[in-house]
Amino acid sequence: MNADKQPHPPGPFDTITKYLRRYRGYLIAGGVCIVCSNLLILVLPYITKIIFDLLENKGTDSERLHWVLAMVGLAILSGLFRFLTRRTVIWMSRRVECDLRGEIFRHLLTLSPSFYDRTRTGDLMAKLTNDLEAIRMMVGPGIMHLSSTLVTFVVALAFMLYLSPRLTLYALGPMLLFPLIANRVGNMVHRRAMKIQEHFSVLTAAVQENIAGVRVIKSFRQEDNEVEHFRSLSQKYLGLNMDLARLYAMMVPLLMTLASLLTLIALYFGGLEVMSGAVPLGTLVAFFAYLSMLIWPAVALGWVVSLYQRGKASLERVNRILETEPVIRDEPGELHVGEMRGQIEFSNLRFSYNGTEVLRGINLTIEPGRTIGLVGRTGSGKTTLVSLLARMYPVPRGQLFIDGVDINDWELSALRGQISFATQEPFLFSASIGDNIRFGADSATDEAIETAATTAALTRDVRTFPDGFGTMVGERGITLSGGQKQRTAIARAIVAAPAVLVLDDATSSVDTETEAEINRNLASVLEGRTSIIISHRISSVKQADRILYLEDGRIIEQGSHDELVQQGGHYADLYRSQLLAEQLDKL
Amino acid sequence: MSDVNNYHEEEVLGKAYDARLMKRLLTYIRPYRRWLLLAVVFLLLGSLFQISFAFITQIAIDEYIGSGDQAGLLRMALIFLVAVILASGAAYAQLYITQWLGQKVLHDIRMQVFAHLQSLRLSYFDKNPVGRLVTRVTSDVNVLNEMFSSGVVAVIGDLFMLALIVGALLYYNWKLALITFVVLPLLVLATFLFRAKVRRIYREVRTRVARLNAFVQEHITGIRLLQLFVRENHTFDEFNDINRDLRSVHFRGIYYYAIFFPTVEIIGALSLALLLYYGGVQINEATLTFGELVAFIHLVERFYRPIRDLSEKYNILQASMASSERIFALLDTVPADGGGDGNHSRSFKGGISLEKVWFAYKPDEWVLKDVSFTVEPGEKVALVGATGAGKTSLVSLLYRFYDYQRGSMKLDGVELTDWSLGRLRSHLGLVLQDVFMFTGDYAGNIRLRDQRISDDDVKRALHRVGFDRFLETLPDGIHTEVQERGATLSTGQKQLLSFARALAFDPDILILDEATSSVDTETELLIQKALDELLKDRTSIVIAHRLSTIEKADKIVVLHHGEVREIGTHNELIQQPGIYQTLYRMQYQKPAGQEPSPAAKSK
Repeated sequence: MNADKQPHPPGPFDTITKYLRRYRGYLIAGGVCIVCSNLLILVLPYITKIIFDLLENKGTDSERLHWVLAMVGLAILSGLFRFLTRRTVIWMSRRVECDLRGEIFRHLLTLSPSFYDRTRTGDLMAKLTNDLEAIRMMVGPGIMHLSSTLVTFVVALAFMLYLSPRLTLYALGPMLLFPLIANRVGNMVHRRAMKIQEHFSVLTAAVQENIAGVRVIKSFRQEDNEVEHFRSLSQKYLGLNMDLARLYAMMVPLLMTLASLLTLIALYFGGLEVMSGAVPLGTLVAFFAYLSMLIWPAVALGWVVSLYQRGKASLERVNRILETEPVIRDEPGELHVGEMRGQIEFSNLRFSYNGTEVLRGINLTIEPGRTIGLVGRTGSGKTTLVSLLARMYPVPRGQLFIDGVDINDWELSALRGQISFATQEPFLFSASIGDNIRFGADSATDEAIETAATTAALTRDVRTFPDGFGTMVGERGITLSGGQKQRTAIARAIVAAPAVLVLDDATSSVDTETEAEINRNLASVLEGRTSIIISHRISSVKQADRILYLEDGRIIEQGSHDELVQQGGHYADLYRSQLLAEQLDKL
Repeated sequence: MSDVNNYHEEEVLGKAYDARLMKRLLTYIRPYRRWLLLAVVFLLLGSLFQISFAFITQIAIDEYIGSGDQAGLLRMALIFLVAVILASGAAYAQLYITQWLGQKVLHDIRMQVFAHLQSLRLSYFDKNPVGRLVTRVTSDVNVLNEMFSSGVVAVIGDLFMLALIVGALLYYNWKLALITFVVLPLLVLATFLFRAKVRRIYREVRTRVARLNAFVQEHITGIRLLQLFVRENHTFDEFNDINRDLRSVHFRGIYYYAIFFPTVEIIGALSLALLLYYGGVQINEATLTFGELVAFIHLVERFYRPIRDLSEKYNILQASMASSERIFALLDTVPADGGGDGNHSRSFKGGISLEKVWFAYKPDEWVLKDVSFTVEPGEKVALVGATGAGKTSLVSLLYRFYDYQRGSMKLDGVELTDWSLGRLRSHLGLVLQDVFMFTGDYAGNIRLRDQRISDDDVKRALHRVGFDRFLETLPDGIHTEVQERGATLSTGQKQLLSFARALAFDPDILILDEATSSVDTETELLIQKALDELLKDRTSIVIAHRLSTIEKADKIVVLHHGEVREIGTHNELIQQPGIYQTLYRMQYQKPAGQEPSPAAKSK
């Protein structure tokens, strides 16, 4: 089976740049707000300086009051811009998150069963939750803090240079060490974090296997040994975590020391300048304030970088899904959309899945309105055969025709809309039982639902449920038995009123008496409809116009029930052993 | 990494803070309380040194810069440097200890959860999907990391720091301190309102996220059906509603955050303004020095830092509560009954007897009804019956994977419930139909983790089941890694390996669930030979599908709908009309003219 194609990836950021473009209004407004709020807040230390100067030069209280009020006013204004920043940038990030989640989900809906055969639901869920959150953090808080940091850095530096170029020069020396350290330590952190991540996978796999193999472990009394084995893994995990923790425990004080050294240098050299009268005390105080404003961005930069790295990795994972193209989709060009009569023709159809040939040359023509029975061992290809009718897997051109039209030339929704299935292990949604039956036909009336349910011998059961057809099924409702689920699925298939009806071992969990009732009821439904009934029970296919016996992907016997029993082949064997089984049941 | 089998149940809408959970979480720190104390001491020392920066600055400005004493200034700078180094040292010690403590506690919890899982009964594993249990041991435990490694100590540190700053301010100048704190009630009010709002939003977000995840999970699982019934657009519309609903709750959350953070900043600026104004008044009155004012500004700035981190700490707390609730729920599941410790030191003979045994998985749905039979030491007993007759359940009872409700089951004359589980199982060897292979080499898959079984034992066992031929093709012999947990091995090979596993453990009694899947003739011969080797001189119970196995049995017990219907040898049972005869004709006998196919059974 050919895997869904993954073309050469464009830039990893293409996925979000289109959203950033869509919300560029928010981005621009957010940018303006960030610049404004930071500019305003950066004026505060300068006002402090003015106040100190006033105090040194014996200014009046009312002069000082003006400046103090100005300070509060600026703070309020800055706060307003900060408020607007969050309202625009973070707001936008939530929009991008929502849109991207929609895009992923919509894409998932188009992907073919083969994709889901090889992808675990858990992995997809992780992408829709963890990865999406990491991307949002990069787009929202990431952008916000990065621009804040840059603005603060530039403006604070400008103020400092203005206040005292020489002091700035002194203080800047150790400052240059920041990016150097951040970069080196950042790389080390990355490497150690990767090791932790790898070992975490080992740990997870060990638990996974332990639980999956619980029967073997218990029967061979390996519990204690398993605990010891796990202890060594957990211990190693602890060690690896400590490797990282040591780094962290070192990095924080290191940055702190550097930051304090800046203050120290400013204090000493600044103090000398104040003594010599080159700089007023207020300037020194303001300088301290700017310094402390510079330190925070330097530390925050590391955080922003890690946000970016995580976001990028997540984006790459998400892109891998988005770039997976559905193998089954509407072909380009004119497509057939007409009403289906239900004539089916297999012309030497061959089909392989994962390198194994499942169907090896099926030749079969089914006239509209006929009922076909399909029997054979598990794995003989019955289910694959019928799933091709709905193009659940790619069908080679020229091998399967419906109403004389190659199946690849049917519009997918027209094709699937006119064929309906009831399967052995039906999937029901957590909705009411009525809505589950209505699944394929929104417009179905309550009467239609009930009629279909009656045909599927389900109505009697539904009457006993607390809310009748309104009863919820699944997690938050009642639990249906296997047989009830199967009957619901049959009703669901009938309500869709298709041109072709496929019952794939749809009554395997239904008891024999009820099954007989369903078979009787189905007669009128099957009339005028092409139908294919797969079953392990002869009783379900006995009445079919024609019965096919499938083995190893080939039709090896076909004919009516009586003819096949006459022939004395595999079908006859099956029939005989089922008669015995019935006998056995009565013993 | 969160596996998601069931979001409705997963997303417990826990409280943001639950005293009961917190108390229980803190018990894990108890063994390390000395270290915790040490960490707190270092933290306090660090805080003290940091606060001293402000003092030193103040003295430098007032005493030396003011008077132009250069040597004094240099002295203060050196003192400052020492304080910086001490503060950094203390910070390193504190961080190292807390990280180590956090990791130790996590390791302890992880081990406890894992060990507890090992002790649980099989029925627990039937009910809980593998993914969910894996999450408990791994991701859920990891979530607690931040709470233990930074949360606990940091909260203590923050509180101490706040107290220290308030103390220092009051010490310097109580009037100015009080004026500065005029805005404190505003701050408390803002924090209080914010917390109340955010808690509500947090809950709403959780319910929306749970709903969204449940929806996606369900529709990905049911994707085939969706596509068959052409419901893609309709499903997307439904999804969109939920998705947008979540977004709108987030929008409301943004609003509160957007108000809270600037508010704290404005309050900070307000107290700075008050400080500068009244500080100025005091300076003019000469009751305050410049240096003291600078120190004040520094300290007030530090005062607001922990408050800004508040929301982050809040998130850590909420996440820990949710995870710990799930972990504790698992730990509170009652483990398997370890059984009695009856005195059966006398030599083990290995007879089994069942007397009127009744068993049901669910109340009143009896799977076994009034089952009685005996297995004498050395006897080979074949259990025969159609699918659903109760054969596998019977074997599970013998292993005490489940307990019977009525009747009596004895091993070596001692009631099963009086055996300790370990002793009981040490006498039994089980070969299951589905052969489970572990990651690792061939040897590891034979001896599991039992180091008493040597490489030679492994080789001997493999030789006895006739695996040599396959072994020769392996590059590293028994130390070759098994590819993809046995996915590349044939069914027959896997069966031989599981026979070898049982042989290596050399049990007194062998219990074997014969595989029904058909294999090629050559392998079939190998398996039959291996089976003979396995069953030789051993008491055994075999859920038999092979005619050869059944024919060689000393006794055949025919189960039908949970009842013992016939007991006897093959030759006896085949003579009399009944279930065995019918089964035999169904499976092994074809109408005249066709050769019988062994082990071929239609589903």
